[in-house]
Amino acid sequence: MMKDKALEDLFLAQKPHFSDNAEFMAALTKRLDAVEYLKQHQEATIRRYKMLMVAAFVVGVISGAISIAYVLSTPVDVPLFTLHVETDILLWLVENSRLITATGLSLLLTFGIVSIISNVQDILRMRVCLKASGTVAQE
Amino acid sequence: MTREVFIAHVEREQEALRGFLLALCCGKKDDADDLAQDALVKAYLSSAGYQDKGKFRSWLFKIAYNTFLNHKASLRCTESIDEARALVSSTKADAEFEHQDLYLALRTLAPKERSSITLFYLNGYNIKEIATITDTSEDAVKKQLSRGRDKLKEKLKL
Repeated sequence: MMKDKALEDLFLAQKPHFSDNAEFMAALTKRLDAVEYLKQHQEATIRRYKMLMVAAFVVGVISGAISIAYVLSTPVDVPLFTLHVETDILLWLVENSRLITATGLSLLLTFGIVSIISNVQDILRMRVCLKASGTVAQE
Repeated sequence: MTREVFIAHVEREQEALRGFLLALCCGKKDDADDLAQDALVKAYLSSAGYQDKGKFRSWLFKIAYNTFLNHKASLRCTESIDEARALVSSTKADAEFEHQDLYLALRTLAPKERSSITLFYLNGYNIKEIATITDTSEDAVKKQLSRGRDKLKEKLKL
């Protein structure tokens, strides 16, 4: 496509020249400093989050292992807990104490695993956001 | 890209970038500079993924163009030409630039036409490069240029 001469001349004649380049760069440097500060803060938050998650994971595994070991070490014919009240429901609970405890522990461990996966996804999402903020593509 | 390299590139290209945005903002220098700052911060944040192939300016213009479109989309109402005339004449740009008529005529163009026309006539990009920067097809750019040129010539009585 050919350029329209009159338009081209008009555009070239109005080509701006800025006298405040130094001020513009100083303002930009200030903004970049603020961005750096925020980036560091976000990275520190992610690190703390990671440490907490690892600690929670370790505590969960150890306490889960201890609980399961305790359940397994108790005699099969002795209930894990006794309730000194004799109603039908409570008796049923005492009779099935081993099954109830095993189910409870399994639920707790499942919940723990789900929360760990969710945390990992959160961290990955935070990282992607951190990298992608200001990306070329239209946000 | 390190911060020092980024700043060195920006120092070299900032005048062209600001000129481009000034035309897109129809001579409103404060708006143009705000958009330029936003675009440069976005560019800095994504500079880790930038591979230097000697096209830093095009990359920067693409970010600036998207920033401009986002800014336009966020504005709920558009101003009339008369309001624009009043605004333009009250800005610092009025004292610095003589060709306010061009800015007023640019204001009558759609943002995409304005971008294509500015990149073509002010920054000297060819159609293929404009298509890359604006993320549209070459045919679309040709149409925008043709429509934009006709409108500008009519407004400016060229």
